[in-house]
Formats: sequence, C-alpha cells, structure tokens
Amino acid sequence: MATTADSRPLPTPISPFRRWLITGKWTRAVVFLILAFFSFAMFYPFIWLLFSSFKTGADIVSLPVTLLPKKWTLGAYLMVMDPTRANLPIAYVNSIIVTTGTVISVLITSSMGGFIFARLEFPGRDYLFYFVLSTTMVPFLTLLIPLYIVMRELNLLNSLWGVWVPSIFSSFGVFLCRQFVYGIPRELYDAAKIDGSGDFGIYRNIILPLTKPILSALAIFVFLGAFNAYLWPLVILNEEKKLTLPLIIARMANRFGGTDYQAVMAGSVLVSIPPLIVFLIFQKNFVRGIALTGLKG
Amino acid sequence: MTTLQDHPVSGGQMLPQLPVARRDSVWRRFRRASPFALIYSAAILIFYTIIFIIPFGTGIWLAFQNWDFITNPKFVGLRNFTKAFTDQYFWQALEKTILFSVVEISLGLSIALLFALALSQILGKWQNFYLSVYYLPVITPLVVSIYLWRWLYRPTGGAFNTLLSSVGLPEQPFLASPQQALWAITLVVIWAHLGTGIVLFLAGINDVPESLFEAARLDGAGFWQSFYRITLPLIRPVLVYQMVVSVIGTVQMFEAFFLIPGPGFSTRTLALYTYELGFRALNLGYGAAVSLIIFVMLLGATVFQLRRWKIEWEH
Repeated sequence: MATTADSRPLPTPISPFRRWLITGKWTRAVVFLILAFFSFAMFYPFIWLLFSSFKTGADIVSLPVTLLPKKWTLGAYLMVMDPTRANLPIAYVNSIIVTTGTVISVLITSSMGGFIFARLEFPGRDYLFYFVLSTTMVPFLTLLIPLYIVMRELNLLNSLWGVWVPSIFSSFGVFLCRQFVYGIPRELYDAAKIDGSGDFGIYRNIILPLTKPILSALAIFVFLGAFNAYLWPLVILNEEKKLTLPLIIARMANRFGGTDYQAVMAGSVLVSIPPLIVFLIFQKNFVRGIALTGLKG
Repeated sequence: MTTLQDHPVSGGQMLPQLPVARRDSVWRRFRRASPFALIYSAAILIFYTIIFIIPFGTGIWLAFQNWDFITNPKFVGLRNFTKAFTDQYFWQALEKTILFSVVEISLGLSIALLFALALSQILGKWQNFYLSVYYLPVITPLVVSIYLWRWLYRPTGGAFNTLLSSVGLPEQPFLASPQQALWAITLVVIWAHLGTGIVLFLAGINDVPESLFEAARLDGAGFWQSFYRITLPLIRPVLVYQMVVSVIGTVQMFEAFFLIPGPGFSTRTLALYTYELGFRALNLGYGAAVSLIIFVMLLGATVFQLRRWKIEWEH
C-alpha cells in the first residue's frame, strides 16, 4: 500500500521526526513491532526445545527452571543415537524410505493423471476423474478401521509397504496437475502428436518438464504429510525396528519422559531437521506453488 | 462427456438405432485411446478399489455387525447406530469435538487473518521473514510440537507457569485440570496450524489489485472500511475454502488428543473415540458406525458451508 501522502509536497521547515509522524509511517512501524513481538512469541517454544536438548537430566527437572542449560552437554543426543536405548537411527531410515517412496510415487501418478485426464481421450474419462475426486469427500477417519482390515488381508501389517500403499496415488495431486496441464497450450500436444510422438513420449518430454513448478509445490505438501504422519503408521506398525520418526518420538517420551526429558527434546530436534531443510530449500517454490494452485492450498 | 450427448433422454425416434451405434463408437474410442491412458486408468481404478471402494463398503457392512476381530462377525441390524444415540461417551466425545473445532477454527482463522492483514503492510523482504517464522510450527512434526508443549505446560517448573508467577499471576494446572485441558490442547493446535491460514490469506490479500485500495482512499475510506468493503469480500473464497478444510481437519485431529491425555474423558474427541473403539476396545462394528456418523456430519457441514457461501456470494 503506497501512501499518497509521500508524494505530496510538504512545507519546507519540518523535522524528519514530524514528517515521519505526518506521513503515517509510524503506524507501519507499530505494526512491524507487533509482528516482531508475535513472531518471537511463536518462536519461543522452539527456543525451549533447543536449549533443553543440551541440558543434563538433573538440570532439566531442577527448580527454579531456567531457559539456558547450567552445563551444556551433548549427552541427550548421544542417548537417543545409542541403538541400545533408542532406535532413532533405524526410524530415520524407515521414515526416509516411506517419505521418499510416497513423494516419488505421488509425483509420478499425479503428473501422469493430470496429463491423461486433461488431454487424452478415452471413454469414461470424466467419470473416472470425478470418481477419483469424490473419494476426498470421505474422511480418512471413516476408512481407518476397514482399511486396517483390508491391509491385514493383504498381509501388509507391520511393514513399511502398508504405510506406503494407501498413498501411491493422491486425488488432490491429480486434480492439481490436471488444472495445471489445462494451462499448457493444446497446440504443444497437437504438434508433438503430428511429429509422431506417442502419448507417453509427450508426457515424458513435454508435459513433465512443464509441470515442474506445480510438482515441486506438491512435493513439499506430500513430503510434510508423509513425514509427519502419525495415525496411519501407528495403526500399521508396531515392531520397534519398523517405526517411523513421529512414532519413535512417542515411544521415547514413554521411555525417557519421566526422568530424561532432555532426550525427548534432543530426539525432537533431530526429527524436525529434515522437514526444516526441505522447507528452506524449496521455500521459493512453495510460496509460488500456493499462488499456482489457484485453490490457494 | 460425449457419452452424455449420445444419450438423448427425449426424442424417441432416434432410440432404435442408438444402441448399436453407441456400442460401436465406445468400442472404437477404446481402440483409438492410447495404451498409456488405458493402463494408467486401470491402475488408478485398481488402486481406489483397494484403498477406497472395498474399505468404504467394508465399513458400511461392519457398522451393522458386531465384531471383535476374533469370533465371527454377527449381524445386529441398526443396533450400533441406536447405541450411539444413547451412549453418553459418544455424546461427550461429540461435545468435545464440536467445542474444539469451533474454537480452533474461529480463533485460529481470525488470528491468521489479522496477521495476514498486518503482514500485508510490511515490505517484501521482512514479509517473507515473518512468514517463515509463522510457518515454522506448520513444518514441525505435530508430534514434536505436542511433546514440546506438554513440557511447557507442566504445572510445576513448566515454562508457562514460570512466566505466570514471574509477573505475579497465579499458577495454573493446565493439562491436569478437566476444565483447562481441552483449551490448552486447542492452543497447541492453533499455534501449530496458524501458519497455513496466514500464508493463504496473505496470498489472497496480495492478489487484491492495488488500484482498488487507491480508489477507496481517494473516496475517503479508512483502513478498516477498505478492509471490510474490499479485502474481505475479495478473499471470501479463500476464507470459505480454508474454513471447509479446517472443519474436516479439526474433526479428524488425532495426535493432539492421543498424546496429550486430559484427565478422565475431558479431551476425548470423536477421532480418539473411534480409534479406541477399533483398536483398544476391539468393538469394530460400533467403531465403524461412529466413524460413519462422523462422515455424514462432515458431509453435512461441508455442504452447509458451501451453500451458505454461494448465497452470500450471489448476494
């Protein structure tokens, strides 16, 4: 919002402070300070998280409580990395496997689906698309118990496959990519067709590179969703060696929560790092992605 | 869509030839369709049959059975549904769910809108900086946030009570109190989800053409007036979208209530109740019935919100 008052000629003898007051810039400064305060308030819990993870077991429960550790130590981190005490390293591997699998499969199936539902002709295409879209109307909670039974019949309980399988396709992703492919000129498709390209070739060589912006936005959403997922992995996995990171945090809280809460904090810090890295790398794509989705989400 | 055009409901004289012609063209169009599209369609159909149609059907079937995973399922008719209406735990869970959902959404979205409005007054670089800070809790795994807040909420030695007593206010029991636990959890969820609303609303506000505000200013409109008359109507689609998504999200919120158990049943929502029925009490039929009731309620709420929005939009 540019203030028109800025361009108005002011009487010459005026102090910078008075000009600042008159032009209304001070309201912006106040807004800025309020935002700064709230961003600190919102960040405050993370400061506790970080500092607590460097405390000793005696320090973290001592009263009066202090923000900074009395003695800085990496003991909590060593504790959670120790395979005999916590299975955090294994959970890391499990989480990375499931998350990578989910992101890759969703990106492939969504971009293919977007192209196929937007550009290719076959009988029942639109019925199929609206069916896929309508599955989002049923909340996951309603499917929870019966889906568990189906997974049991398929012998996928207590395996990472069982966590991955229900998220191979994403109806939201297909919808998003279809919208995006509609924005790609039809002539590109027709020209490639005339040149003798097959449909898969067109997908591979034209559509896939052009849908990259929407795919990188989708990738972040899918990554966060898969990495942070709790309920479905909780239902499917129970063997300690198969757990994903959010589940292992809960297990660690049960194990260390009473006396060694700093271990829970250290584990939490380690678990938060991958999503943070992904966000920082793809931040630009992410903000652009929100604008691209049209739906704003 | 062409199949619809081939299928005139009226116009009887075309009807005799139609079946032959239609079957021929569908078959021909199948032949003409690329194998790529057909293979993909088959795959997506199989996928949704396994993870959607079969489970959904099973869920509906299960809601009319009594099953504990071990003995054979027994058909009980509508008893699971009638049971829900007389089950005080169901009503309690419903009450907690609605309280949580209404407060989380109204408070969360208002704060997000306020923040987005304030952020729209800030220049680009700082706007991005603040946005990132507000978005951090969204990125952080919810489980991490939950255990972190549990630690801060501790009655003795927790960060919040230390803060309260340092400014001379009485210490609070927070999660230990049946009255406060639900609201303490609500605050965690608002904090964790605030960033999403802010990002969406800010994108909406930034999309409003600058010229509209300029014109309003020339007409003598103040900040709040131009917010109420320009910004709010123009970002209403985003607002409604976010509201619908939030209702669906909050009703299904599980981790927060599962990992922060309030005293007694003071924080047991429908999501938690469904989970406990299915995986703790092993009362699968009743659990399926409750989850179907949740589905119907959410569907109703979504349709209601969208319809209300449409009326206001046309108006």
